[in-house]
Amino acid sequence: MAWYCGIDIGSVYSKGVLARDTGLFAFHVMLSGANHRATAEAVRQELVTRADLARDGIDATVATGIGAANVHFANHKMSDIVCTARGTIDIFPSARAVIDVAGQSTKVIRIDEQGLVVDFAVSERCAAGSGQFVEAIANVLRIDLADFGPLSLKSKKPIVFSTGCAVFGESEAVTRVAEGVSKEDIAAGVNKALADKISSLCKKVGLELPCAICGGGALNTGLVRVVEQGLGVELLVPPQPQIVTALGAAAAARAWLSED
Amino acid sequence: MTKVLLTDVDGKVLSVVKGPTGPEHRRLANEVMQRALEQANLQLDLVSYVVATGYGRLNVPFADRRITELTCHARGVYSLFPHVKTAIDIGGQDAKCMKVSHGRVVNFAMNDKCAAGTGRFLEVIAVALGVKVEDMGDISLRSRKKVHVSNLCTVFARQEVVARLSEGEKLEDIVAGLHDAVASRVVGLARTLRIEPDVVLTGGVAKNNGIVRAMQEHLRCEVLVPEDPLITGALGAAILAKDLWQESVARGERAPTELRRLKKATFFT
Repeated sequence: MAWYCGIDIGSVYSKGVLARDTGLFAFHVMLSGANHRATAEAVRQELVTRADLARDGIDATVATGIGAANVHFANHKMSDIVCTARGTIDIFPSARAVIDVAGQSTKVIRIDEQGLVVDFAVSERCAAGSGQFVEAIANVLRIDLADFGPLSLKSKKPIVFSTGCAVFGESEAVTRVAEGVSKEDIAAGVNKALADKISSLCKKVGLELPCAICGGGALNTGLVRVVEQGLGVELLVPPQPQIVTALGAAAAARAWLSED
Repeated sequence: MTKVLLTDVDGKVLSVVKGPTGPEHRRLANEVMQRALEQANLQLDLVSYVVATGYGRLNVPFADRRITELTCHARGVYSLFPHVKTAIDIGGQDAKCMKVSHGRVVNFAMNDKCAAGTGRFLEVIAVALGVKVEDMGDISLRSRKKVHVSNLCTVFARQEVVARLSEGEKLEDIVAGLHDAVASRVVGLARTLRIEPDVVLTGGVAKNNGIVRAMQEHLRCEVLVPEDPLITGALGAAILAKDLWQESVARGERAPTELRRLKKATFFT
């Protein structure tokens, strides 16, 4: 039975998935760092170790993400939008749209029943529309990223940011902290601001249901909740939202191998 | 920063004091005022008229009148450069472009929504590069080949330049590229108006000679910078105060009517 691998080198995290015909076998997530080539190698090393394979024991690898060009051992490179769509349909065959909240961008992708991209919109010009906004404010509040969602859900009165800029937002958060506003109200305000940007991106492409949410941002339970409230829908959340795109790349690797 | 500028009835500057604004000083315009009075050797009751301007103009309880910073900047710049047609002010958190006719604002465009194209862009990235923001101008003038910064967003640009630095690009080339990015964004804003010379650049960022050079390249014309580019708003406010006082005297009114006291502000806005 063949081994397929999907590697997604993102702006902040790199994700690797190892799969067989029976399904997902192992995955690995690590910081991308400054040397994407070394990171790609480290992801592969981790995956082959878990499967007890030789370094070249993987039959087909597809690379995706901003650093795909650095995955020197990949058989093929694909756009992350295509891979995200494919990964989504793999997990949720009924899904017709997916919101990907990533480190440096947010994407809304409409997909058909085969997992092909119908339409998409990307917000990548501005950190305030990406997961980095959350990271920046978590840093100001000195809280762990993992605690951000649960903390924000405790808020009764989210602050309203007067700015749409992550840099100005950071200063605003510092001012609010100095004024004695609680961390949960600030965290909830950040999630609301980001959710508003996501909603307008959804309007641009036209949301189809059911809709899934993935990317590191989907780990933020507070964000998922306000996006759901803003759109007035319930979202499908995969158990491992960070690896959806890598999973799609692994599925593409399998298709590539069977075509060959 | 809070700036206080006192002039006599002929518009001659008697004293200029710059103090911090910051969150804890927002109420304390009175302290900067006190220092300006001491420097000019004046008592408060000898001051005929006070105009407050800027974002914090509502936090100056001893002001007789509050006037927007656009009006004051234009007036201040006009007093220094009578031929000014386009005034550009790049501050720590915004950028304003004004079309000026005889010292009055006839049109303007501003960016206070996004840190890109403001002094904050340079401040944030200076920290990441480990340089002082006041040294950036001189550093960039050593550059032979500027590094293009492709990201517009300050946060993304910061990551981009750190990556460039680790790839071995020279600091001066990166800093020159950053100045180019700021200039291109501000000139883009100014182009929504019709840019006509004379062009005057003010605000803290105008102290950066690298920015001035980059602005000249993008505008393809000379850019004039006042000796102290930080105080044109306060200067304009003082000139408008003088005009308002003279007008009310001409009308036979006594201004100001209320006895002024140097209080600290009791409210925020």
